Amino acid sequence: MKKKIIASMIIGSFALLSAGSFNAEAEKDRKALTEYFVKKFADRKNASQYFPYTPKEELDKNFKWGLKPEEFRLGSYAFNKGGRAQYEEIIEMPPYEDAIDEGKELYEKTKFKNGKSFKDCFPKPEIAGDYPKYVKGKGVETLTTAINSCLKENGEKPWKMTKGKMAKLEAYFAAASREAGKKVNIVIDSKEAADAYARGKKEYYSQRGYLKLSCASCHVQGAGQRVRNEYMSPLLGQTTHFPVYRLKWEGLGTLERRLKGCNKDQGENPHKPGSKWMNELAYFMAYMSNGLPVDGPDVRK
Amino acid sequence: MKKLIITATALSFAFVSANALQEVAKIDVKDVCKVEKVGAPKALEVAKKYNPEAIKLGVEFKRLGIKNREYIKALEEAIKAKKKETVVKYKSKGKEKTKKFDTNFLAERACKFAVRALQQVNEAEKTWRLAVPGDGFKY
Repeated sequence: MKKKIIASMIIGSFALLSAGSFNAEAEKDRKALTEYFVKKFADRKNASQYFPYTPKEELDKNFKWGLKPEEFRLGSYAFNKGGRAQYEEIIEMPPYEDAIDEGKELYEKTKFKNGKSFKDCFPKPEIAGDYPKYVKGKGVETLTTAINSCLKENGEKPWKMTKGKMAKLEAYFAAASREAGKKVNIVIDSKEAADAYARGKKEYYSQRGYLKLSCASCHVQGAGQRVRNEYMSPLLGQTTHFPVYRLKWEGLGTLERRLKGCNKDQGENPHKPGSKWMNELAYFMAYMSNGLPVDGPDVRK
Repeated sequence: MKKLIITATALSFAFVSANALQEVAKIDVKDVCKVEKVGAPKALEVAKKYNPEAIKLGVEFKRLGIKNREYIKALEEAIKAKKKETVVKYKSKGKEKTKKFDTNFLAERACKFAVRALQQVNEAEKTWRLAVPGDGFKY
């Protein structure tokens, strides 16, 4: 009996060790990225090294320094004093509140034709921080594709992946996760998952489109610099606050909607929401925010 | 059987794209796409050859809301009809739209877009790690 217990303990610890090792590269990346951003926004003295084109006066007046990793969930409002003041005024009466209520109703009252409901697919609503996840045989599933899988598996028509009902239901999931104090918890526990992460990472850092920009050009090296009057947000914390109410959209949109827009801004024919390319990109991006609090839905310009 | 067909199709796509990527690496885009030198029909031919590969690899260029395949389609008609101006029809946010371009200018753009999209795939293979903090990017 004792022998059996010891043997199963050894097997168990091997399984645990190998499961842990699948995220080794991702953990190394996440730590380096966090360290880079903390260093970049650490203090005014070293700023010219990271912001060579930003006028000194702007660095003195407009920037908040000494940021902690958790603060990056606010995107550019973490360091942009002017933007932060406007943001705080807007969230006094958040424009997404009705959407949360409508999302809750969709979650609790939608009945599928077969008698089942969203609760059969997602027994608890505080799941926003657990997606995207790698599902064996399916590949990476974002919260958006998981909701559509639930609809399809129950004989329903899938929803539009960028806005509308999808964004509302996600807003409710995000709000419930925030209220429950959930953190981003992306898991890489197999070789297939690690490969999907690696592909997403490669795409994130590859220059593309007629402007030859990578996602990182703006959101890693370029984060904190301005394009016209807007500061570019950092990759760290970027997926924590979706879905977002964008003033430009005059409505709520999913992460897929934003990624499609970024892709277009690079000068490329955007990849489709729900495509393998976009799901794996989101998987990489979300892993970079692992451990940060879920902070959606939120408002952005 | 279905799986076998899908795998075979995927493999043949990968093979064709790999060939195109190798081929395109040797091309001087300023040379093959310069309409003054090669003429609009030749530039269009190059665009027609490489843009489908760019579509397969998911790297097709898009500018002013217009995909390169839409530039190419409009150019084919304009060059056939020997028109100096090309009218491109495209969809933006569900609405049908049109835009006029000088045919020579557009032929050069379509050609460059098709070739550069593939060349950038090759270049990214060598450069993407340089932007990764803790890897090629020192901070």
